[in-house]
Amino acid sequence: MAAIEAYGLAKSFDGRPACRDISFQVERGEVFGLLGPNGAGKTTTLRMLAGLYAPDAGTATVAGHPIAPGRPGSAALRARVGLLTESPGFYDRLTARENLLYFARLHQAPARRCDALLDRFGLGAHADRPFAALSRGMKQKLAIARALVHEPDVVFLDEPTVGLDPAATREVRAVVAELAREQRTIVLCTHHLEEVERLCSRAAFIAGRLIAVHEIRRESLLRIELAAPVEPDGVRTLCHSLRQEGAVLLIEPRAEVPEIVAALVRSGARVLAVAPHRDPLEEAWLKLLAEAGRP
Amino acid sequence: MIGVVFRKELLEVRRSPVLLLSMASLPATVVAVPLALLAWLLHAAPEQALVFVEDVYRIRLPEGAFAGVAAAMARNWLPMFLVLPIFLPIVLTAQSVGGERERRTLEPLLATPVSTLAIVAGKSLAATVPAVLITWVAAVVFCLGLDAIAGVWLLPDAAWTFGALVLAPLLALFGNATAVAVSSRVLDPRAAQNLSATTVLPLLALLVFQLAGRLALGTGFYIAMAAGVALADCVLLALAVRVFDRERLLTRWR
Repeated sequence: MAAIEAYGLAKSFDGRPACRDISFQVERGEVFGLLGPNGAGKTTTLRMLAGLYAPDAGTATVAGHPIAPGRPGSAALRARVGLLTESPGFYDRLTARENLLYFARLHQAPARRCDALLDRFGLGAHADRPFAALSRGMKQKLAIARALVHEPDVVFLDEPTVGLDPAATREVRAVVAELAREQRTIVLCTHHLEEVERLCSRAAFIAGRLIAVHEIRRESLLRIELAAPVEPDGVRTLCHSLRQEGAVLLIEPRAEVPEIVAALVRSGARVLAVAPHRDPLEEAWLKLLAEAGRP
Repeated sequence: MIGVVFRKELLEVRRSPVLLLSMASLPATVVAVPLALLAWLLHAAPEQALVFVEDVYRIRLPEGAFAGVAAAMARNWLPMFLVLPIFLPIVLTAQSVGGERERRTLEPLLATPVSTLAIVAGKSLAATVPAVLITWVAAVVFCLGLDAIAGVWLLPDAAWTFGALVLAPLLALFGNATAVAVSSRVLDPRAAQNLSATTVLPLLALLVFQLAGRLALGTGFYIAMAAGVALADCVLLALAVRVFDRERLLTRWR
């Protein structure tokens, strides 16, 4: 059974639709992206799945707990999901440890997990400082620790790097990458394509409604840069697919890389570089938006 | 869960010097101003003060000027004391509920499995318990001060004892429930505080009428008032839980 199954979720506020027709599935251990411009309905979708909003239409199951129209997720659902909210949302006068302990107690999680998480995210030395005195990066890492304190089945990360400076962004991205490597089920909500590209296996494009669920293929394509365009007939049999863009070849290899390079050299090509080609998410996104009739 | 919310709220109050100061200033005023006024009046013109009291309040006490004037003060000042247990929880609750939204701590809180009842009850307890304790401390100081000035045992009498032990907790619940209900609907904590604070106006009206000699409230009135407030508490607390709509609280700014 999938960790998350959403069918036709829709939500409006005061008659204004925030999102509609949101359907996707997230497998256990998958890092799934929710991509879209600001105001696209990503956070609304996340809040419905985290049990904060009741959908107007559609149904969902999160960690085995149902969500139905007019009925938000139950306390049992909220106990099984971790939510990183858009702003850290802690109490300024309480220390980092007191803040984390408070949320651990609300989740009925053992207090010892707090210290373990503080240490894990490099906050141990700052645990007794008031939350207000922490840096932005520390605050965000504490918020991630809170989302994990009760060992949830599903973790929702809402714009984890928004408003952070480059150093804090790097820190937080490293933490998210670490969580992804641990095979946790994560839904990452962002408008940063590179975050999704780097961390997710699939992403749902949302712009008021679900436009598409896109599979992110990493390292399946090989990008070969040549000194000058050549006719690549000699390598066609070594590839599942081949696309030529001037002096650049994008191939889905069937044979080993040295074999392909050797074939190219035999065809008279001068190979400048060979590298895994990341899925051009931006292109896919713009194309899908254009197809959906949105600017 | 109620205990978890309660302890966190108390910890936040303890760490907030401005909030503590604002909570202490009203009781200090309510105790110090009348006692200072009484002491000055009895020092400056005790006989004239007694004549004034006998004339306005139509009471005649055999203990002499000091005891007579102090007795009038003792009887008339109780409604002002009862403002404390209403007003203090309003200050705390408006900050607690509205402040959560303002500081963006509400979403993480509502994302936990904690029930609405536990949130409201925890926050309510954290607002009413300090308010009642502060009222009791202020009442003890006022009673001791007044008795010391009068030179006889005047307070606590039956009305003050009933007011402190029964009415004060009931009024604290009333103030808190009002503030929870208002804060759930009003975006700005300061606006919620101001709106909720209007509930003390009937008590202030009683105070004015009593000071003017138009009313002479006794224990019977306070018992009847307690029954009415207890009923209002039940209705308001149920309403407070009902209007504490989790989704609405998160979407108010949409």
